[in-house]
Amino acid sequence: MEFPSTRALAGLDLAVPPGVTGLVGANGAGKTTLISLMLGLLRPTGGAISVLGLDPTKNGPELRARIGYGPERNVLPEDLRAYDFVRHLAEVKGLPRDEARTRASDSLYLVGLGEERFRALGTMSTGQRQRVKLAQAIAADPALVVLDEPTDGLDPVQRDEMLNTIVDINRTFGIDVLLSSHVLEEVERICDHVVALEAGRLVAQGTMTELAGATGGVTVELVDISDVPGSIDQVEERLVATGASVRRIGPILELAGPSDDELFDAVTVAVADVGGRIRKLGARRRTLDDVFAADVVSVEYAGRAPSTNDERDR
Amino acid sequence: MSDVPLSPPGPSGINPGGAEIVARGFQRYDGPRSGVTGAISSVIWQSMRSTLGIGRPARHKVFPVIAVVIAYVPAIAFVGLAVLVGDLLDPTEVADYPGYYAFITAAIVLFAGLVAPEVLVGDRRNGMLALYLSTPLRRGTYLVAKTAAVGAALMLVTLGPPLLMLVGYTFESVGPSGFGAWIAVVGRIILSAFAVSAALTSISMAAASITDRRAFASIGVVLIALASPAVAGALVDGAGLSQNWRLVDVFSMPFELVYRVYGEPGNFPELSTFNVVVVNLAWTLGGLAVIVWRYSRLVISR
Repeated sequence: MEFPSTRALAGLDLAVPPGVTGLVGANGAGKTTLISLMLGLLRPTGGAISVLGLDPTKNGPELRARIGYGPERNVLPEDLRAYDFVRHLAEVKGLPRDEARTRASDSLYLVGLGEERFRALGTMSTGQRQRVKLAQAIAADPALVVLDEPTDGLDPVQRDEMLNTIVDINRTFGIDVLLSSHVLEEVERICDHVVALEAGRLVAQGTMTELAGATGGVTVELVDISDVPGSIDQVEERLVATGASVRRIGPILELAGPSDDELFDAVTVAVADVGGRIRKLGARRRTLDDVFAADVVSVEYAGRAPSTNDERDR
Repeated sequence: MSDVPLSPPGPSGINPGGAEIVARGFQRYDGPRSGVTGAISSVIWQSMRSTLGIGRPARHKVFPVIAVVIAYVPAIAFVGLAVLVGDLLDPTEVADYPGYYAFITAAIVLFAGLVAPEVLVGDRRNGMLALYLSTPLRRGTYLVAKTAAVGAALMLVTLGPPLLMLVGYTFESVGPSGFGAWIAVVGRIILSAFAVSAALTSISMAAASITDRRAFASIGVVLIALASPAVAGALVDGAGLSQNWRLVDVFSMPFELVYRVYGEPGNFPELSTFNVVVVNLAWTLGGLAVIVWRYSRLVISR
C-alpha cells in the first residue's frame, strides 16, 4: 500500500483462517491500514486481497454487510440511546426494521448492557461504551467481526469480561473475530491465530501454539542469597555436569535436555546440594513478546557485523 | 374449522398454541438483507429524526419547533382569514403561493442553518462517519443519503405550509377553480419547494462540509443569507454594474425562481427566467461539487 510519504504492508502475504485471530503490532505497524483494506475503504496499490471469498475493491458494500466493525475511537453520539444506536446501525447493515429492533436488544443483553440499553451513550462509562461498540458490531449477525483495541481504557475486571464475551461470540455463535490489539498478553490469552505486524511488514503469522506456548525445556529463576555466595554459579555448573544445555540470563537458567521430568529432578537436586533457593520453576514458554523481541533484534543487527558491545547487549 | 388439534393448556391454564417467545436471546440471522437501498433509507430516516430532535433530549427540539412554528403560523393565519372573512376578502390577495416564502424566510434560514451542520458535522465529530463507511455505504451513497435527509427536512418548511394553504383555501372555496387548475397549483407548489430546498440544501451542506464546528457552519449559512443580497445590491445599485450581477445573490435566487415557476416577474423582473434557472442550477451543482470534493479528500479517523 503506497501512501504519499510511506509504503505499508509491502510484500505482505497472509491467510487468516476461521476462529479468533489476533492482529498485533505497535502503533503505526499497519493494523489500521490492513483493516481498511479488508473493509474496502482503501484500495491496494498492488497485490490482491480476498475477505470471506469477496474482493473488497469490487464487492465492498456486499462484503461490509457481512462484517461487523468495532472502531478504536471511543467517541460516540452523546445524545443517542444505546439501543437506538445499535438498532440504527443494524438497519444500515441491511436488517429489516423489526429484526433490527429485536437484535439490538439481544446484542446489548449479550454484552451485559440489557438493563442499560435505554441510557444515552454520553452518560455511559468507557467500559460500557466499549460494550456498546461490540454490540453494534455483532447486531447484524456478521460472518466476521473486526474489533480495533476493544479493551482500550478498561480496568482488569472489565477487560476479562470483554475478552470472555469475544471468545463467547466465536465459540457459541461461530462468528469469526479479528482482534486488533497492541496488548500481546490478551491476544495470547484468547486468540487461535496471530498475525504480527511491525513497521508495515509481517513479523510472524501462525497458530498460537506455533508462535507461543510450551517450547520444551525448563526455566528456573534462582535467588542470589548472601549466606551461600556463588550459589547460582554452582547450580549452573552442576546442571551442565548432568549433560543439560544451560543458557543463563542473570539469575534465570534456561535448560534443555532429553526430558522435562529429568530436568526438573536435576534442578531440585542441584539446588538442594548447593543450598540455594528457587524463586520460580516451570516449563519453558515462548510468548508473543519473545516473537517480537526476536524480530526486532534481527532487524536491528541486519546488515552489519556485530561488535563486541552488540554481542554483550544481545 | 381446521382439523389441527389445539395444543393442550399449560399448567397455568393458558393455551401455549399461540404463544411467542419474546426474550429469545442472541441468535444467528439468515433472513433477507436490504443492501445499499436499505442503508440509505435508514440513514435518511435517522438523520431526519435527529434533525427534528426526535429521540433526543428536549434542548434539541427547541430550534426545530421554533422554525416549524414560524413556517406554519402564517399559513394557519391565512387559512383562518379565509374561514372568518373569506366572503369579504380574498386571502390570496394578501398572500399568494410564491409570495408566501417572504413570510417564512426566517424559518427557512434558521432551518437551513441548523439542519445541514447537525446532519453532517455531527457524524464527523462523533465517529458515526467511520461507522457508516464500515457498512454497505460508500462516501458517495452516504452523501446521497445525507443530502436527501437535509432536503427532506427542508421540505417540511418549504412544502408543508403552501400545501396547507392550498388545502385550507380549497375547503373554503377560494382555491384554484377546476381540477386542472388545482393540480397545476399542486405541481407548482412541489416544484417551488423542491427548487428552494435543493438550493439551500446544497449551500448549507457545502458550508457544513468545510468546517468541523457546528456553530461555524450555522453562522456561515446565516452569513450567506445576509451577505449575498447585500453584495448583489452593492454591485448593481451602488457600483452601477449590469442587472445580471443580481445573480450573485445566492440566497434570493431560489425565491426568485419560485415566482418564475408561477409565471410571475418576481422581485427582479429585469432578469430573464433562463438566467434565473441557470444560476440556480449552477449554485446547487456548485455546492454539491464542494461537498463531494471535501468528502473525497477527507481522512476518516478510526
